[in-house]
Amino acid sequence: MNSLEPNPVIEVYKKDVDRTLLRENLKLSYEDRLKKLMQLQRFADELQKAGRHKQ
Amino acid sequence: MTDFPKLLQVLSEYRVEFIIIGGAAAIVHGSSRLTQDLDVVYHRSQENITRLANALQEQKPYLRGAPPGLPFQWSEATIRMGLNFTLQTNLGDLDLLGEVTGGGKYEDLLDHTFEIEVFGVHCLCLNLETLIHVKRAVGRPKDLEAISELEAIQEEQQDEE
Repeated sequence: MNSLEPNPVIEVYKKDVDRTLLRENLKLSYEDRLKKLMQLQRFADELQKAGRHKQ
Repeated sequence: MTDFPKLLQVLSEYRVEFIIIGGAAAIVHGSSRLTQDLDVVYHRSQENITRLANALQEQKPYLRGAPPGLPFQWSEATIRMGLNFTLQTNLGDLDLLGEVTGGGKYEDLLDHTFEIEVFGVHCLCLNLETLIHVKRAVGRPKDLEAISELEAIQEEQQDEE
């Protein structure tokens, strides 16, 4: 794959990326990264359910 | 919620040839963004189509977002006649792609993968450089923020080397 030119919009977004979070993720194994995603999915599901109950 | 371990185990059990791409691949690379589905590129060989049809049969695949009751049947013929499928299954949402913009088919992507072992399954994942390339090629505005994070990960890794 050819290397890509910097995209100005992406460069602007990049300034707001939380790199401390990324560094923590990079310390985890691949499996633990996926497990963390599933925890996040469960949490998002719970929030959505709570939001529906309130309506 | 998508059951990543079981989906990967089912595909592996039936020896389906596939490559993890998309949001799940981004997670493998260290992304912190939430994704709800598993995106994979599958090999379009006849043998692999048979394996894929058999692997998902018990998971009751159905077209995601389609109204209930359509005469959709998961079979080898269906896979052969289609290319990319966005499915809901008993194990969660699964996108099966025969080809991706900017990356091509399974065999085109093979040289841009690396093997990972997760949940007791050995599988192939798209490398970071190609994942960024493919996401850029798709060109969806919603991906720009995700790409910025992937490029930040790439910079972090380069700084470590």
